Amino acid sequence: MASVALRGIKKQYDGNAVLDSIDLDIADGELVVFVGPSGCGKSTLLRIIAGLEDISEGVLEIGGRPSNTIAPSARGIAMVFQSYALYPHMSVFENMGFALKLAKVSKDEIRERVARAARILQIEHLLDRKPAALSGGQRQRVAIGRAIVRKPEVFLFDEPLSNLDAALRGQTRVELARLHRELGATMIYVTHDQVEAMTLGQKIVVLNAGRIEQVGTPSDLYERPANRFVAGFLGSPRMNFFAAKLVGEQGRGAVIELAAGVRVQVAADVKRAIKGDRVTLGVRPEHLQIMRPGANADQHAGIQASVALVEYLGDVILVYAHVDGASEMVAVKCDADIAPPSAGSRVELVFPATRAFLFDGRGCVFAPAWLEGASAPLAQAL
Amino acid sequence: MKPFMPTRQRQAAQAAVAHSSRRGDGRSAALLLTPFVTLFLLFFLAPALQTFYLSLTESSLTRTNAFVGLANYALLVRDPSFWASLGNTFYFSLLTVMPLTALGLLMALLVHRFTRVQGWLQGAFFLPYVLPISVMTLIADWMLQPSTGVINQIVGGQTAWLADVDWAMPVVALGTIWWTVGFNMLMLLAGLRNIPRELYEAAALDGARGFTLFRCITWPQLRPVVGTALLLQLIVSLKIFGQTYILTVGGPFNTTRVTLHYMYETAFTHSDAGYAAAIAMAFVAVVVALSLLHALLRRVVAGRNP
Amino acid sequence: MKQPSQLAWTVVGVVCSVLLAGLWLFPLLWALSTSLRPEHETVSAVFHWLPRVWTLDAFRTTLGAGNLTRWLFNSALVASLVTMITMAVSLGAAYAFSQLRFRGRALLFGAAMLAFLLPFEALLVPLFRTMNVLGLINSYAGLVLPQVVSPVVIYVFKQFFDAIPGDFREAAVMDGAGPLRVLWSVYLPISGNIVWAMAIVTFIGAWNNFLWPFIIVTSNEMMTIPLGLTQTYDAFGVRYAQLMAAALLGALPVGLAYALFQRRVTQGFLAASGLKG
Repeated sequence: MASVALRGIKKQYDGNAVLDSIDLDIADGELVVFVGPSGCGKSTLLRIIAGLEDISEGVLEIGGRPSNTIAPSARGIAMVFQSYALYPHMSVFENMGFALKLAKVSKDEIRERVARAARILQIEHLLDRKPAALSGGQRQRVAIGRAIVRKPEVFLFDEPLSNLDAALRGQTRVELARLHRELGATMIYVTHDQVEAMTLGQKIVVLNAGRIEQVGTPSDLYERPANRFVAGFLGSPRMNFFAAKLVGEQGRGAVIELAAGVRVQVAADVKRAIKGDRVTLGVRPEHLQIMRPGANADQHAGIQASVALVEYLGDVILVYAHVDGASEMVAVKCDADIAPPSAGSRVELVFPATRAFLFDGRGCVFAPAWLEGASAPLAQAL
Repeated sequence: MKPFMPTRQRQAAQAAVAHSSRRGDGRSAALLLTPFVTLFLLFFLAPALQTFYLSLTESSLTRTNAFVGLANYALLVRDPSFWASLGNTFYFSLLTVMPLTALGLLMALLVHRFTRVQGWLQGAFFLPYVLPISVMTLIADWMLQPSTGVINQIVGGQTAWLADVDWAMPVVALGTIWWTVGFNMLMLLAGLRNIPRELYEAAALDGARGFTLFRCITWPQLRPVVGTALLLQLIVSLKIFGQTYILTVGGPFNTTRVTLHYMYETAFTHSDAGYAAAIAMAFVAVVVALSLLHALLRRVVAGRNP
Repeated sequence: MKQPSQLAWTVVGVVCSVLLAGLWLFPLLWALSTSLRPEHETVSAVFHWLPRVWTLDAFRTTLGAGNLTRWLFNSALVASLVTMITMAVSLGAAYAFSQLRFRGRALLFGAAMLAFLLPFEALLVPLFRTMNVLGLINSYAGLVLPQVVSPVVIYVFKQFFDAIPGDFREAAVMDGAGPLRVLWSVYLPISGNIVWAMAIVTFIGAWNNFLWPFIIVTSNEMMTIPLGLTQTYDAFGVRYAQLMAAALLGALPVGLAYALFQRRVTQGFLAASGLKG
């Protein structure tokens, strides 16, 4: 059984709370990603699971056993460090076999386990070299090999791709996914890159300032963010946010007023709010549509804006525009086949009411609602 | 929603504050530090405390006798030999500190400039520093011989340098400069090497050349290092003993008897350990004050060149 | 195309270098020249830069008479012992201060560094007494032991260990290594260069130490080179060729060490003075 459970984990440094009441369950064989901005505590949480940091309060269970006081090497885990931490004076073979040597495993078995791991990672030809003679990608494989050899129940990865160049990163991501399938082991992976999180994780844990913001599958988090932070963290370019005021209900949705007096409809259930409350509107760049001013004929209201910058990315075009009355720029993702507006031109932005999010004053999302006459949303609620 | 956690479990978790990755640290530390601590206690701390205590007693070299409070210090303050020795020491410092730093700087600049012969040049200047003091004194004594010494062959005359009241200390200083300048050169060379090359390149683009480069780039960057070197040299020069003891035995007429020599004489020749300890304490006070200053300065330098 | 002012500076620099280097090498070269001539030439009325008669007599006599070979042996033994013990003691202590967590660590380290400030010279009398009580006057142990306490070396090693990324230690801990194992398998192998540098510097320092042997040694046979060479005045009277030969022989080991390990020596001295080279 290689499950990990965190119950009420708290961590303090000199009176500052670095982690605040973390509760989490990781099932056997899952690939979980901890993601969040710098300083959110994700690395600290990983190191707590590893046993490299003390727990101020709470219980950590690995494989069902309370493991707070168990030494790191006895927890059934192995860690791949961000810097790989390969012992510079030892060969690749010695690096990979070091833990086994300390555990007094027989030489034959060491040789066999190292050979097997080397085969999985395709580094058999490097066994005699020293780390200094390896490339970054090769070093990373050795670091992973060092972990595999110990046959741990849980693998911990601390930002393993951050030291690789972009091309290698994509390749290695695929390899890590393959590794997970092949070994079937529980993996906990820490990264600050939301693309990595979305592509690798079966389950993503979004952390912010020592707290868990949301846990879920990539699509859960992307399509049903629980709060403004998660909504703004995943997705690139970032979701567009507009400050707004709640002015009424229509059908089962809400009507809000943006700066410059524009009113729009959003399919959100605002029963717990009152008229006049400050809210935030969130619309993803791919859900905004650009219309020429005046061309808007149907019931959707349009946001007036002037185009500031157009970026051609090959498969999409990004249009950045200044919204009247707002200071921030909004980003719109357009199809590359359609000719974009030129910089400086005036445009009107529209979006489907069912594709927008509404967040209250504290950042919590309002549950989606159905609008009269609108088609059913594609995905069901949580 | 936080799951409910039973009180007992929570308390147990709190009590078991894990030091999982720091296990065995205390034991290992004890093992690794015992040799050092033993030696430290025996050969530093105990003697240091003993010196302090001795200075408050009337003692011979081997027997500790009556406690006399500050009597030794009272004597010290009124002792003309002590003050003379202090004066000699500072005279020596004066003769060596500035020239050593200036020469060291010149040598460092030359070594830095002529990189192709760097090894040889540095070697020539630094070699004397690795030699034992007696080698320096033997050669110095030979060269300074009045009738057969090579110095007098070059300069002319028959001066007995080491026996001359006016020249004894300067000559000892000269020998010391030859002996130890390599170290200063090394320190200043390191300081020179730490100056980023971009500064020179930017200055060259701005049109600076030659001496201007030195005045506007090198010197300001080097100043803290020079300050550190000067202070270090001052502290080291105060501790002089061997050169004057061997070459002149403190003479002629005690003009080269430095403080440490005076202390040695008091302790081992006159067997007055108590008074010698008082001299030692006074000496330590001066050195410690300067050393603290040096440590402070070094931190400033390190702060500028991380 | 070099500018005229630059060229002028270069010429000045070259002249200065040649002059200074020549000046600095002169005493040793002169000593060599003296040692290679027969004794009567050193005191002859007529002065010669180079020997008229080249001979190794001075060296032969010096090595034969007196205790020069004995002194060389003593110096070698004492310097080696001091170096080995200092390295062992200091590495262990530095590692403990740098990587281990224990109560009183800061205090102990502070106390150790205090020894930095206090000059060795002030402790001569009590040390002499302690040695007397322990019966170690005029013995190898007496010579070696006080020289082994070296806060400088500990400080340098600690700085070095501090600079090693903590990842290696953590990886080793995760692999199951205890603190001592981490020192042996991870920190020591990485420290090769710095240990070499400090070892050579310590060796040279121990070899050249004059003050302590001067205090503790009372018989001619136990003298180290720096001490012994001062005895040569009485032993040889004013036979300068032999004196110079003795001086050069005494300088040979450390001079050779420097010639062979120039970079390490300079690195070591710089580290000891607290600056990066």
